[in-house]
Amino acid sequence: MIGEPEAVGTETLGDGDRVVLTFPARVGFDIEELEDLRLAVGELCLLALQGSDARHGDLQLEFTISGEALDISCTLGGAAPQSGSRDEDRNAADELSEQILYALVDEHGREQEDGSVRAWLRKRRKGPLA
Amino acid sequence: MEQEFRIEDRMDGGRSVITVVGEIDVATAPQLRESLHGVIAQGQATVVLDLLGVTFLDSTALGVLVGGLKRCRELGGELYIVVTDARLRKIFEITGLNKVFPIVDALAEVGAP
Repeated sequence: MIGEPEAVGTETLGDGDRVVLTFPARVGFDIEELEDLRLAVGELCLLALQGSDARHGDLQLEFTISGEALDISCTLGGAAPQSGSRDEDRNAADELSEQILYALVDEHGREQEDGSVRAWLRKRRKGPLA
Repeated sequence: MEQEFRIEDRMDGGRSVITVVGEIDVATAPQLRESLHGVIAQGQATVVLDLLGVTFLDSTALGVLVGGLKRCRELGGELYIVVTDARLRKIFEITGLNKVFPIVDALAEVGAP
């Protein structure tokens, strides 16, 4: 099992999805799966940001590899509830984000607890992970 | 190495063409929104978005495209997407947007206004 938290500032979210591919690459996901995971991790971070007014702060990504599954969670701390109206483009993007995750990973979800938002996904491989 | 993000807009055969190079994500999508809305605000109801130089896009980018499409259609126009990359096309397919946007392989496939 590997669990390695990594703090990613929301202002550098666009870079975080590249950094995190080190972990699934290490356990043998192929190129196509890595490309899917790169997109999925970005969407996971956006999912954590949904419903929050956070503009600054830390996203913590945690990877857990066990058996044939890779679990990734993204936690946004100090997430204030959304206030005011939302950008129309962002509302459309939220729905699209869900569709992308449904298509690319086996399971995903989001939980809120004690001022934190945690989004997670599970990606299985057909064979055992290295 | 990450490709530099770049947007250019021009008129081509009476059509408004926006060319994007690089990655469109949460960091760069606002620039695309600004460019797209700017072109439409100038009265261009039909816009061609050239994504041949784009290497990555996410839901944030798609949200901007959907918003742009609505604006174009409200004005009686259309938003054409030029894209050939299989991975980008896959994103349009899994979100069902390949049935919403007119997607073509080359700028030449978009008819004259």
